[in-house]
Amino acid sequence: MTRWAMIADLRRCVGCQTCTAACRHANATPPGVQWRRVLDMEFGEYPEVQRAFVPVGCQHCDDPPCMDVCPTKATRKRADGIVTIDYDLCIGCSYCMVACPYQARYKTERALFAYGKPSVSEAKRHDDARLAVATKCTFCVDRIDAGIENGQQPGVDPEATPACVNACIAQALSFGDLDDPSSNVSELLADNEHFRMHEELGTGPGFYYLWDKAVAAGTRVRSAESEGGPT
Amino acid sequence: MNATGTHRVPTYCYQCVAGPDLLTVKVVDGVATEIEPNFCAASVHPGGGKVCVKAFGLVQKTYNPNRVLTPMRRTNPKKGRDEDPGFAPISWDEAFDLIATRLLEIRAQGLTDDSGYPRVAASFGGGGTPQSYMGTFPAFLSAWGAIDMGFGSGQGVKCYHSEHLYGELWHRAFTVSPDTPLCDYLISCGANVEASGGVVGVWRHAEARVRGMKRVQVEPHLSVTGACSAQWVPIKPKTDAAFLFALVHVLLHEFPRERLDTGFLCRHTASPYLVGPGGYFLRDRATRKPLIWDAAAGAGVPFDAPDVAETLEGHFELDAVEIGPDDDVLGDGCLVGKTAFAQLVAHMGAYSPEWAERICDVPAATIRRIATEFLEHARVGATIEIEGMRLPYRPVAVSLGKTVNNGWGGYECCWARTMLAALVGGLEVPGGTLGTTVRLNRPISERLKSVQPGPDGFMAFPMNPTDKAHWSAKSNIRNAYKTMVPLAGDGAWSQALGPTQFSWMFLDDTPKGLPRVTAPDVWFVYRTNPAISFWDTKNVSATMARFPFVVAMAYTRDETNHMADILLPDATDLESLQLIRIGGSKYVEQFWDHQGFALRQPVVATSGDARDFTDIATELARRTGLLARYNASINKGAAGVPLKGEHGDYSLELERAHTRTEIWDAVCRAASAELTDGLQIHGLEWWKENGLATKPFPRTDWYLFPTLVARGLRFELPYQERLKRVGAQLGRRLHEHDMHWWDKQLEEYQALPIWKDFAAPWTAAVTVAGGEPRDYPFWLLTARSMQYAWGGNVGMQLMKEVADNIAGHRGVIMNTRTAEGMGIADGDAVEIATPQRSVRGCAVLRQGIRPDTLLLIGQFDHWATPFAKDFGVPSLNSLATMSLDLTDATGSGADIVRVKVTRAGEQAR
Repeated sequence: MTRWAMIADLRRCVGCQTCTAACRHANATPPGVQWRRVLDMEFGEYPEVQRAFVPVGCQHCDDPPCMDVCPTKATRKRADGIVTIDYDLCIGCSYCMVACPYQARYKTERALFAYGKPSVSEAKRHDDARLAVATKCTFCVDRIDAGIENGQQPGVDPEATPACVNACIAQALSFGDLDDPSSNVSELLADNEHFRMHEELGTGPGFYYLWDKAVAAGTRVRSAESEGGPT
Repeated sequence: MNATGTHRVPTYCYQCVAGPDLLTVKVVDGVATEIEPNFCAASVHPGGGKVCVKAFGLVQKTYNPNRVLTPMRRTNPKKGRDEDPGFAPISWDEAFDLIATRLLEIRAQGLTDDSGYPRVAASFGGGGTPQSYMGTFPAFLSAWGAIDMGFGSGQGVKCYHSEHLYGELWHRAFTVSPDTPLCDYLISCGANVEASGGVVGVWRHAEARVRGMKRVQVEPHLSVTGACSAQWVPIKPKTDAAFLFALVHVLLHEFPRERLDTGFLCRHTASPYLVGPGGYFLRDRATRKPLIWDAAAGAGVPFDAPDVAETLEGHFELDAVEIGPDDDVLGDGCLVGKTAFAQLVAHMGAYSPEWAERICDVPAATIRRIATEFLEHARVGATIEIEGMRLPYRPVAVSLGKTVNNGWGGYECCWARTMLAALVGGLEVPGGTLGTTVRLNRPISERLKSVQPGPDGFMAFPMNPTDKAHWSAKSNIRNAYKTMVPLAGDGAWSQALGPTQFSWMFLDDTPKGLPRVTAPDVWFVYRTNPAISFWDTKNVSATMARFPFVVAMAYTRDETNHMADILLPDATDLESLQLIRIGGSKYVEQFWDHQGFALRQPVVATSGDARDFTDIATELARRTGLLARYNASINKGAAGVPLKGEHGDYSLELERAHTRTEIWDAVCRAASAELTDGLQIHGLEWWKENGLATKPFPRTDWYLFPTLVARGLRFELPYQERLKRVGAQLGRRLHEHDMHWWDKQLEEYQALPIWKDFAAPWTAAVTVAGGEPRDYPFWLLTARSMQYAWGGNVGMQLMKEVADNIAGHRGVIMNTRTAEGMGIADGDAVEIATPQRSVRGCAVLRQGIRPDTLLLIGQFDHWATPFAKDFGVPSLNSLATMSLDLTDATGSGADIVRVKVTRAGEQAR
């Protein structure tokens, strides 16, 4: 089996929003609709303060609350873990938006463009099917499916990998198959401490956050010695 | 260019100094739709071929409905912020006629005016990035002759100015970087690399963090870089020199000497040089070489004598001469000399962590711990093999950011930083503190080749003369860099590295001794907006409104081209053609293992009547009768590559106007020849298909140390005898001309810098402006925004949208508790004021900022730029003043203002 999942390494993320912009490009979402975005969070009180950047979006849950409340079955979960929305079935009731504990869903009632009227590029990519329906991160499912069809490996080959992961300039975002123990995401989870957002809700997110190196992961630390031998 | 179908076109983005980023543009039926990394470049690009967020604005930039798409002529002769320019469309032919007529008049009059200043001026955006977009315009400028490029838009004063000048002097470091891939411990004083380091900076530091590099971020607010650091030290603004001095103190006074790299200090710095009673090196009478004490011989010998046992500390009596400024003989005979290192140790004795704590509000224990960690991580004595060469390995570094490494205190911070590196032998070696590129020394960008023997065993440096025979009060351009700033040199970049605020300040009030500053007859403006990006923006706007003829390459209308007479729409990033050099070592964290060239090419058809800058330059050259000189300049290398080399001659015919395709095809062929030693000659079509080509760049060339050793040279540290001499001579020259208005700046020329209250000038500015300093209790600072920095992209909706996800882009950041005490809630409208000016914005309350500090990210306050004029976000630049009091000896200043803040409306009540 395959379980697609995404990982955000919080040690790496700098909040640059390159993933946000890349997602807007790849998915042609309208202004303000950020299927991928990065939160800028603060903890503590001056001077003991920490600031963290946390990529968020649809968590592609094992048990997605958005799916359960959907009256038309527009929201579904594929066998590979990707949660989808069938725009033809969606009636725009917004139950899913309320149910999602990750605030990952958007609904745009009317066509929006960067400067009012559509530019030639926006006109080319505008899709009326996305108006008045729920939308969210798809893990760039079209790229994944097309890539696999072409013999490519999602999370490894750029053409088959979500745009946000491709774009990440800090290598904070990774994508791959959790069910493959040798995949990049499986290895990252094995080597590092991690958590999932609102895990207590039992949604089983397919989105993991790394925050420290696992205690037993010393063998994977690249030492300067191994690079050419300082003495 | 395919009109139908889907394809990806390779090109580059160089909107900021941390570029270039290599990207592809997805084009569908002739329409650009998506920006993506150029995955084919991943193996040669030090940031994995990834692309910065700014590049994702390029599609919107291309199709922005607010673009100027036809040449325009001003119809309202009155200029000013409140005047409607009445821009009316004209043809290119008419536009060229108007410009050429003016230019030909100037050529008939003479290129310089009665003051001796060039009649033509040109201003470009920061960091030289516009050069990667302006095609062959540099060839036109070269063909023209004298041009004043000293009207700043922020460069020279809002840059890393002290780092640029002193960095190049000490280690060919126009900018300074840690050797991040090997560094284990980094002290970062305000360096905001996660915002300004571009893709490569972010990539390298993310790798280093996960590897275990500890970064200590020292700054008044918790920036994005602080957020990603192991520790945040909230230091009081403009006191970094005290913090750094204390670190030096701890290393010198609290650890056994053998913990330092005494071998490095003895052999690779001037530490053993003997300093005489007058403060200058003691010299050999015959050769005038500085003397050191040979412990084996028990005698003073020239610094370069063979087989010497250098003495690091002590004072000695010996036969010598001491030569002061203007070759004055200060002593001759039996003199007492103290080693430069001993001078340093004594000098730093007073600067203990306890002393610094009182100044910079950082606990002494924290300072001591950081100094200790720095030393412990330095691994003094370790070596590493790089490409077969065994080199010292010192995985510690110190980086400095804006407002720390420029303006008053910048010299002291840069000196202390470089000294910290030198004390552990971590200067220009793997893991340590490195320079990146050169801009003042020649050959430009050829860092290692620029290392030539200079006086006293140090590298040569192209100081502007201060001796009586060569110094002149008559400046070649209005900002007087040659007269006032010896360290600025006189190369292609020097004009922009002088006191560029002087060009604006002195127009009505030229100080005594300088030729009267005049307005240029013609001013070219490209990819810059000084009416927003400089200080004192209201007065800068008013000043440029008095310029008689302004030609602006206009993307959209903006605050500077509001004062223009002619607007020219140049084909923008995805529409035009240019080949640039990539790789090697460049700004910020750009350290590559490859070097070569990349092409920017028309991805889509040019919008409206916009024209490629190369075609604009060629036509200007043709109409001004400069075609032969223009083509000759291109042949010589003004387009980035000499067209005639040992592997072929692709020179352009001199008397003919060539198309942009012809020109860049020749450049491509010359570049290919250079890159492959003539083995593969590719024309423009090949480069369009492939986008880039590279060859290996040796990693050992990242480090200056081997070159210095090979040439028998030393780092000019710790004792700044040359600066002391130059400063004394400059003072004499100025005073001989009754010029006393630079006396405060002359005090910066110190052999060993002393602590001063570097924030005091900004507090004093409150009094000068008629206020009472205690009524203005906040330090207003600024910080770079990765989404906007250098980009000229403030009109891009996408940038605004994503930038707003980062705290502070919607208003002024202030400490939560401080705000609560003042009754200010998050989102409240507040007024930030100096005694004479005020701006309004929204309060953004955060814990990650000192209670006495306010922060305004970026540079906004637009009033003409479409889209941006509706932001409602204020700018430090609207409050900051230009003044001599706030100008340091390098001619620079800093982004800091003393202000008060109130809820908007309270004052009215």
